[in-house]
Amino acid sequence: MLVEVENLSKTFGEFRAVDNVSFGIERGEIIGMLGPNGAGKTTTIHMILGLITPTSGRISIFGKSMATHRGEILEQMNFTSPYVAFPWRLTVLENLKVFARIYNLKKPRERIDELLEQFGITKLRDKAVARLSSGENTRVGLCKAFMNDPQLLLLDEPTAYLDPEVAWQVKNALLEAQREKGTTILYTSHNMAEVERMCKRIVFLHHGKVIAVGSPIEITQALLEEEREEPALEEVFLRVVKGKAA
Amino acid sequence: MKVHRINAVIVRHIYESRRNFDRVVDMIWWPVLDIVMWGFFTVYLAHSNRLQPTVVSCLLGGIILWGTFYSFQRDMAVGFIDELWCRNLINLFSTPLTLAEYMAGLLTVCLLKVMVGLIAASAIAWAAYSFDIVPWLPKLIPYMANLLLFALAIGIAITGMIFRYTTKVQALAWGFAGLLMPVSCVMYPMSSLPRWLQNIAWVMPTAHSFEGMRGILNGEGFSRLHFWWGVGLNVVYFAMAIVFFGWIYEKTQNRGLLVKQE
Repeated sequence: MLVEVENLSKTFGEFRAVDNVSFGIERGEIIGMLGPNGAGKTTTIHMILGLITPTSGRISIFGKSMATHRGEILEQMNFTSPYVAFPWRLTVLENLKVFARIYNLKKPRERIDELLEQFGITKLRDKAVARLSSGENTRVGLCKAFMNDPQLLLLDEPTAYLDPEVAWQVKNALLEAQREKGTTILYTSHNMAEVERMCKRIVFLHHGKVIAVGSPIEITQALLEEEREEPALEEVFLRVVKGKAA
Repeated sequence: MKVHRINAVIVRHIYESRRNFDRVVDMIWWPVLDIVMWGFFTVYLAHSNRLQPTVVSCLLGGIILWGTFYSFQRDMAVGFIDELWCRNLINLFSTPLTLAEYMAGLLTVCLLKVMVGLIAASAIAWAAYSFDIVPWLPKLIPYMANLLLFALAIGIAITGMIFRYTTKVQALAWGFAGLLMPVSCVMYPMSSLPRWLQNIAWVMPTAHSFEGMRGILNGEGFSRLHFWWGVGLNVVYFAMAIVFFGWIYEKTQNRGLLVKQE
């Protein structure tokens, strides 16, 4: 297992945001994390990144404990979310140069140009981040996320603000990274069709608890409690939100 | 600590300073404006024979050194607030960058900015009011170092508060030093304070630096007493700031406040 999450819990005062969550991620796997708003997805990702200290439980990545080897682990992983931003007065290039320095890239400019081209934003290189659209900003985030060629990539709704064409481009880039470099990806999204296409396995969270783990079809059958031939994650999602499942 | 990651923080803030007019104003505008305004005031007093020449030097020296202290403390906190305003904290701290590396980078940028402000203010004082601080610098540097150390301790403590309470307490970045100014005896000797305030001034490293500066500009020489008092107090305040910051950072991580970006 590349990532092992064991009995992870997080409470904020009386509120239990994540409740005894356990799951593992195999090397080279794209795993989806689904759940309604407030299910504990983002808190779990933030704990995996070491941004929030768990109340209890253990996170191990690359065989090392996140609590004691955070810096070493983060060298080989990356994260992006459309809900975080970059210093808006800096240009795209300047922002990416800062992260290239953090990761100590040998040929930063070449790597940045390659990523800008991959995500179709080469012409935005010298534009201030403040002048970018949400979709363009998301793509800058993806360039940052791929900067260090990570072994593990955590993506929080990476296609949230993208039009279908760019979202398709991004999904292809992710599948390519997984296929060619064996990148392991933890992926959250509210687009069920996208998750069905991208992820072999899904962790479904609700009220901070894991209510199902498995392939899209296994999740569908487990949570709808009936035999199905095709995955129907959207139906599952609505059933869970309405409280008729789990 | 990795140098390349400290460099990344320095580069990030240098880019910001180049593109952000607010930072240019903070760095050059206020130190220059302060020295121009107080310079005219000393000219007025000197022309009406209300001042001895050394008092003029002490006022201008005080303004320059206070500017150094204030800018350094403010820039430490504002540099961090910038990350909150830009919602960049998660981006930064989801990388291997450590808090110590971030603070070291920010500290270096603040030192560079303070140097720019100091040079600008000193040049105006020299050109417009014939006050040349350069010959005094060798003796003033120990006091300035004490001012910067105290500014660093305050900057760390305020950054800790901002970590915990986010932008709700951002006014501290600009306002806290103002609280210290009356008891720092920037423009007047400590003896002019009422007795009870003098007791407070004695535990301010700033007050010892300004007393020491006045001694030098008045030709009384370097006061070891004020220097070592400043050093001793700084050791205590710096240790307190580090302990406070470590404690508040742990609380921040426990409460998940690092990811609350406002």
